[in-house]
Amino acid sequence: MSPPRAATHITPVSHYLWILAALLTLLALSAGSALLKLGSFNTVINLGISVLKTLLVMAVFMHETEARNLTRLTSLLGFVWLAMLIGLALFDFMTRTAVPAPWQ
Amino acid sequence: MSAAASEIARDERTAPVEEQYDDAVQQREAATHGMWVFLSTEILFFGVLFASYTVCRVLYSRGFAEASRHTDMLLGTIETAVLLTSSSLIALGVRALKLDQRRSATWLLVGTGLLGVSFLVMHGFEYYKEYTEHLVPGIDFAQPGPHAQAIELFFCLYYFITGFHSLHVLVGVTLILVLAARIHGGAFGPRRYTTLELTALYWHLVDIVWIFVYPLIYLVGRSG
Amino acid sequence: MNAVDAASAPPNFLQRDYGLRAWLTTHDHKRIAILYALGITFFFFLGGVAATLIRLNLATPDGALLGAEAYNKTFTFHGVVMVWFFLIPSIPATLGNFLLPLMIGARDVAFPRLNLASWYLYMLGGLFTIAALLAGGVDTGWTFYTPFSTMFSNSNVFLVVIGVFITGFSSIFTGLNFIVTVHSLRTSGMTWFRLPLFVWGIYATSLVLVLATPVLAMTLALIGLERGLGVGVFDPALGGDPLLFQHLFWFYSHPAVYIMILPAMGLISEIVSCFTRRRVFGYKFMTYSMLAIAVIGFLVWGHHMFVSGMSMYAGMVFSMLSFIVAVPSAIKVFNWTATLRKGDISFEAPMLYALGFVGLFMLGGLTGLILAAPALDVPLTDTYFVVAHFHYVMVGGSVMAYLGGIHYWWPKITGKLYPEGWARFAAILMFCGFNLTFFPQYILGYEGMPRRYYSYLPQFQVLNVLSSAGASILAIGYVLPALYLLWSLRYGAAAGNNPWNARGLEWQTTSPPPKENFLHRPVVREAYSYDQPLAGERAS
Repeated sequence: MSPPRAATHITPVSHYLWILAALLTLLALSAGSALLKLGSFNTVINLGISVLKTLLVMAVFMHETEARNLTRLTSLLGFVWLAMLIGLALFDFMTRTAVPAPWQ
Repeated sequence: MSAAASEIARDERTAPVEEQYDDAVQQREAATHGMWVFLSTEILFFGVLFASYTVCRVLYSRGFAEASRHTDMLLGTIETAVLLTSSSLIALGVRALKLDQRRSATWLLVGTGLLGVSFLVMHGFEYYKEYTEHLVPGIDFAQPGPHAQAIELFFCLYYFITGFHSLHVLVGVTLILVLAARIHGGAFGPRRYTTLELTALYWHLVDIVWIFVYPLIYLVGRSG
Repeated sequence: MNAVDAASAPPNFLQRDYGLRAWLTTHDHKRIAILYALGITFFFFLGGVAATLIRLNLATPDGALLGAEAYNKTFTFHGVVMVWFFLIPSIPATLGNFLLPLMIGARDVAFPRLNLASWYLYMLGGLFTIAALLAGGVDTGWTFYTPFSTMFSNSNVFLVVIGVFITGFSSIFTGLNFIVTVHSLRTSGMTWFRLPLFVWGIYATSLVLVLATPVLAMTLALIGLERGLGVGVFDPALGGDPLLFQHLFWFYSHPAVYIMILPAMGLISEIVSCFTRRRVFGYKFMTYSMLAIAVIGFLVWGHHMFVSGMSMYAGMVFSMLSFIVAVPSAIKVFNWTATLRKGDISFEAPMLYALGFVGLFMLGGLTGLILAAPALDVPLTDTYFVVAHFHYVMVGGSVMAYLGGIHYWWPKITGKLYPEGWARFAAILMFCGFNLTFFPQYILGYEGMPRRYYSYLPQFQVLNVLSSAGASILAIGYVLPALYLLWSLRYGAAAGNNPWNARGLEWQTTSPPPKENFLHRPVVREAYSYDQPLAGERAS
């Protein structure tokens, strides 16, 4: 039996350290901006930063940039399905109209 | 059997190819795919809690803002930094193992595990603090003000989410420390690293869950 | 095969490694399939006992046999056992486990030890559920609606919730295993569009298993936590919302019904194909519809909540999506019918089950459309109309398909032929008994008889008695296969490799197959090649 293929790509250490630096910077931005009075933008910014951090972790630490299309699709499925759950359930909660009882 | 082949056969650091697979590459790709499918199930598992949180927050946005101010933002931020760092350590550990740097790999994994343990310790301290402040629904909860109900809901979700997350951290730490010991003992190497790779994927997911937990729990309404 | 060949043939998977220990530690997907089959048969009969008690109780309007509390516990047990311990694992874990690797030309599934673990989880969950029964039962209904399940029920909710939680992981791991198997282990020449439709059905089912079940798991955990701590997100007195539970529960439980029907649909395509001697009409449409059902099926759950207090606008959206999800199912019914046209049809028992499936599934599906219209659902919800609808699709559909599949592949799994005469008789008896049991329930529901009530108004008695009578015939219909299939294990004629002259890789190996499935790695050139004779095919 021939030995298996050697790993095709070894990411240099510096890449990981740069990504960590970016993640920690984003964390600081997130915490810092939360202290500013930005109304609903606070949430938008914070969740946006979370999405960015997630993309960085998935792309570099989890090697999604080198992965097969199949694993990339699989990694997206959970998020898409969760979006469907939250989206449609929220649609119910946000479109309810109070129907008063006859005696009210 | 040729000398090279028998050397490989004797080399315990080559994963045996199970009979349903044609070769080691197919086996590794299948294992990786399987782990990603499992991670998708974890996203949906935690997703229920995020969905519940979203619904409740939309219904009680002011109450949730006030409740969030009762959490320890400094601790939460440090915990996030700790987990992000631990992710980078384990990623470096996988890299080291692929390059046959067993000592580095072992220490990187031990570091990851220790950071995970410190996360749990910090979190335990948070729980204790919240207990002294009467913020534990069902056990000791008493909050004044018009938003008491919403605060109780928030903290229910807080304990559920962080509780399940901490369980996952504990499992991850255990797996990582066991792997560290086995790498030190020579069980894995550049031709046998899939187990570590998959464990790292699990750990990164645990990190990603926390990446979303952090702003939703600790950063709501911080501007007062 | 002459005596010399038989003596020198390699041992089949049943003959290698005898003994309880060998079976309980097996990694062989075929043995795991049989372990599952034993489990689900046991649970089917448990659920059937509960059904018998229900129908006996409902034979008289006063419901004196069981009384209110016991009746609630009986229909809850019936629902929990039939949904989670019979229907959901039935086709995927038994026939799916056995056939999937064979059909794609593989030696086993991707993760054999995970497969065995799935079975142990299934049995462990079942143990907890039986414990709940022995401890006095659960009276919340299989749907565990809050706040009753979290706050007011005095029954053993914890035990059953733990049981279903554990079994949920069995489902998840099975689905995971199958997805990776289909992607990774197809043999040479087995491209995606040469896969048997049963494999497509199992694949679509596995997607649903993997994406829906985790939601159920966490939702059940939340019930347990809320019940145990007295606080949670479902209690309106604390600012929570019981409808949140319903959204989370039905997000899983509606796709769950597609877990029950998609494998059946794939299976029926195999049988119809074989007994019309044709490739199924519209193969690609059949695969796309199964995938469409799997995906769109996740977007329709609100149709269980039309009268719950959900927003009217959400109701409209869910209703429209529910109409849309019916379209791929209808395409499949058209295609099966088109396959029959000008086919060389023969009426062996599996084909009788398949034809029964197509008709009964269609009826059940059409009544589903009726219920998908909110205006019609308002008077029909929580009546026997709903009960009849889901029994038509689940029993007239899934169970008939499962039995058809058991008969069709029985020779392959056991190496024995079942007695055809008895099998046809049982299939027809079952069809008649089923319709007598459940058709009157449509009328009862339309006339307003509520479900989950232990007693009813006297004017409903005639139809209830008809339904109970039908149930007794249906019961005989179920017991008969158990008897003659067991009989055939000892006295049945030996089946050859391919008693049906069917196409498909599973028929190219011995009956029963050897442990490694194929002695020579199969190579695929074409699927469903009924237009060409098999090598060495003789007229039967």
